[in-house]
Amino acid sequence: MAAVKPSMGASNYRLFKDRAARWGVSFGGIMVLVALLLIFFYLLYVIEPIFRGVEVNHVRSFKSPSEQVVAMGMEEQSEIGYQLTADGALVYFAMQDKPASEWQAGQELLRAQLTEQTPTAFTKTQPQNNRYAFALPGGSVQIVQPKFASRFVDGKRYTEPRFDGVNDDDILQVDPQGQDITKLAYEFDGESKLFAMQTVDERVLVNFIQAKRNFLSGAVELNSKVSDLPIVGAVDELRVTPDLRQVLVRQGNRFWVFDVTRSGAVRERQMITIDSRQYGKVTSMALLAGASSVLFGHDNGTVSQWFEVAGNDGRRYQFIRDFKVADSPVEAIVVEYFRRTFYTIAGNGEMGVFHTTSEADLYRGHPEALQAESLVIDPRANTLLMQTDNELHVFDLHNEHPEVTWSGLWQEVWYEGYPEPDYIWQSTSGSDDFEPKFSLVPISFGTIKAAAYAMLFAVPIGLAAAIYTAYFMSPGVRKVVKPTVEIMEALPTVILGFLAGLWLAPVIEHYLPGIIAVIFLVPLAIILFALIASRLPASLRTRFTDGRAALILVPVVALVGWLSFQLSPVFEQWLFDGNVRQYLTNELGITFDQRNSLVVGIAMGFAVIPTIFSIAEDAVFSVPKHLSNGSLALGATTWQTLTKVVLLTASPGIFSAVMMGLGRAVGETMIVLMATGNTPIMDWNIFEGMRTLSANIAVEMPESEVGSSHYRILFLAAFVLFVFTFAFNTVAELVRQRLRDKYSSM
Amino acid sequence: MISVTPTNQQTESLDLDNLTAAQTALEIRNLNLHYGDAQALHNISMAIPKNRVTAFIGPSGCGKSTLLRCINRMNDLVEICKVSGEILLHEKNIYDKDVDAAELRRRVGMVFQRPNPFPKSIYENVVYGMRLQGVNDRRTLDEVVERSLKGAALWDEVKDRLNASAFGLSGGQQQRLVIARAIAIEPEVLLLDEPTSALDPISTLTIEELITELKEQYTVVIVTHNMQQAARVSDQTAFMYMGKLIEYADTNTLFTTPTQKQTEDYITGRYG
Repeated sequence: MAAVKPSMGASNYRLFKDRAARWGVSFGGIMVLVALLLIFFYLLYVIEPIFRGVEVNHVRSFKSPSEQVVAMGMEEQSEIGYQLTADGALVYFAMQDKPASEWQAGQELLRAQLTEQTPTAFTKTQPQNNRYAFALPGGSVQIVQPKFASRFVDGKRYTEPRFDGVNDDDILQVDPQGQDITKLAYEFDGESKLFAMQTVDERVLVNFIQAKRNFLSGAVELNSKVSDLPIVGAVDELRVTPDLRQVLVRQGNRFWVFDVTRSGAVRERQMITIDSRQYGKVTSMALLAGASSVLFGHDNGTVSQWFEVAGNDGRRYQFIRDFKVADSPVEAIVVEYFRRTFYTIAGNGEMGVFHTTSEADLYRGHPEALQAESLVIDPRANTLLMQTDNELHVFDLHNEHPEVTWSGLWQEVWYEGYPEPDYIWQSTSGSDDFEPKFSLVPISFGTIKAAAYAMLFAVPIGLAAAIYTAYFMSPGVRKVVKPTVEIMEALPTVILGFLAGLWLAPVIEHYLPGIIAVIFLVPLAIILFALIASRLPASLRTRFTDGRAALILVPVVALVGWLSFQLSPVFEQWLFDGNVRQYLTNELGITFDQRNSLVVGIAMGFAVIPTIFSIAEDAVFSVPKHLSNGSLALGATTWQTLTKVVLLTASPGIFSAVMMGLGRAVGETMIVLMATGNTPIMDWNIFEGMRTLSANIAVEMPESEVGSSHYRILFLAAFVLFVFTFAFNTVAELVRQRLRDKYSSM
Repeated sequence: MISVTPTNQQTESLDLDNLTAAQTALEIRNLNLHYGDAQALHNISMAIPKNRVTAFIGPSGCGKSTLLRCINRMNDLVEICKVSGEILLHEKNIYDKDVDAAELRRRVGMVFQRPNPFPKSIYENVVYGMRLQGVNDRRTLDEVVERSLKGAALWDEVKDRLNASAFGLSGGQQQRLVIARAIAIEPEVLLLDEPTSALDPISTLTIEELITELKEQYTVVIVTHNMQQAARVSDQTAFMYMGKLIEYADTNTLFTTPTQKQTEDYITGRYG
């Protein structure tokens, strides 16, 4: 016999194919891992900035263009700053070198003397309102608004200071008695203005100038209403809230809150004596952005936050939390335009940056070893202008995400206006200066709740179906049933969600007693029927032993289901006084939402069943025949063999099936998006909805500003979801391996 | 040419055609079996004597395993399988409608070709059959384990690790464990379906010795591919070919003076 000698070419080709296949498969596998890692690192890359601290970088210093400064500010681009002086001048100056305009940093650009008289008092509004007011001798007030003009030349933007001269409307007589004003507070809302003041004869009064527009002529009519406040002695500070509804007065450690009604009447709401032993002597006061919180600086270097909390006797200010900001008395508190960040200056010139909601201690110290006297933040909160003696210092401020801290995301936070600390997710609101509430707890809870109810529905049905199909069903029927159930997995979940939200939810609401009856009666009927069937004479029973026995259950289940629905109104009448929703709410105190966990459990359970069924069926079916035969040969019944040998051997696979189902339920988006109502509440109540991590990302990502805290927190939610599924799958795999080692068949 | 000499000659011969009721363990009468349209067993009648080892031999596909499986109704699990005829155990046809297959299998135990211990401990494997019947008394079970493992010649090897997984045993030990498991419930008949075909020669020898001991208490029916094995362990041998019982006689007689041409051809190695 002639030996066939393989040619070298064929051998090389075989070698090449072998190598190519090996490298190709390795490359594919590695790329999958790389892709996963890239997703992981991209998520981390987007999330990372929210946990960064504040950076204060010195840019330049220059000599202050004026002395006796009472207030400073700057425009949005931080190119031009301004100062208001005690003698009533408005001075604009350049904050940076700008060759195009031939400016140098610190150069005075415009000086406007607003009044010839010497002001007796000065005040400023909340930063976003950008108004200042001088009290002039004789009880009148001059309002100032620093303005800027922008023009574009060759596509370049030039910002210049603007001063239109003093208008007669800017000067208002606010004290009818014409006394000099020693303390002043001012806010406005449209044409209406609210002044609070103390005069030299120590009267404390409020003047509410309300504008009423005549519908016919369009003319604006001003009504002035003056009220005296029952306060004796010199006050330290006066504040008016920007909504013109409250006047706040501080006299030492005593703090008054006065309500101003629409008609202009003033009523005392509350008087607090701030315990100086507990909190320290009050040295300064500020209204936080949004004007819901009052901050007090104390002589022991702390700042305390107080806001109104609804109680039995109405809304009252109360102590919420405090911050250790310095070791010497807090001299000034500066607030941002929109966020809950505040800046402090202590007696020793130490500066501090803090955020109330997140209780974040962002910065403490002396930047460039400077002793700050006053400071101001630009509207975008990225430039800080600090004054020392007669020098000005410009700092770049990097404080992108002060509202996010790890504890704020996962712990209870006391938000403004809430009666107690709570887990809240509320990322947006109508106003710019609202307090965002970023707690991941309610949406993580929602994810777990949705998955739990889905599993409650899917695991019994999926596993029972899998065991029946693999173990009892005749091969002919199994050949049809298994692919059919597996095809269900390909059903787009958006369709399931759509059906659940628009069809199932109203049906469940309408037939609630019937649905509950189905859940209890169908299994009961099946067991009862099985009991009857087992008592039937053997001759009758053996007709159905070929795996088609289950078919005779179909009419039983259908009949019980139909009866439950038909009897739904009867149950409702008999058990729930005729209206189950009213009964739940009034008698049991259970809230009922139409889009609730029951709907989600059924719809998502429906989506998860094929996953569980398919894997569990394979696991049970692949239990070696010789094991079950061994059991049967020992006189075990089919049921005993199933429970004692088959399920035990299949347990790693069954466990995998459940965990895969759970993984799918946790990550599922469309069904929970459409059928949950997306209410981020924390309650196990089956009749209330939830909001899941995945749905939250889907709902809010389109409306979040790229790079904002909200945007990054949504990525963090995605990361948490990633960790959730990763953890589930890892635990599942570990347990599965262990079970497999223990029960692996030969 | 292979020469097979029976070695197992210590038991006296029986008249297999005229056994007394006391001597009979099982009686097969006119047994036919169809897999769908194909007939696998043709009109088989034979009596299997008590406390003896009966071997079924024959080439692959001759129906010897099928016949063995009929005796404890394992063929019930094959859907397309139809059986007619009778198998009498204590003069009761096991194919009667009122016979519970599980109870029958408790009385007619079976050991398969491949060792199939359950994914449980050695102890739990042995007491499996007892637990099925609701026996959970620890002392009873301990006694059963010791008796069965001793009966299966495994006790000395595993008595210190009864709670270890059965998968840690060697193939031969596993097969003896399976035999121990089968005799734990004290069946009347023990069916062995090629019990040594997956084992090495040493383990085979151990099992064969065990079979010889087992017949003191049980009626043993063994299917084997290995003629030497049949010659070594069995008291009488049935040769089957193409689903028919060709010859059934004392092992001694069958191997030395077969009456049928087919038998002679088979045992002399003409086909197999």
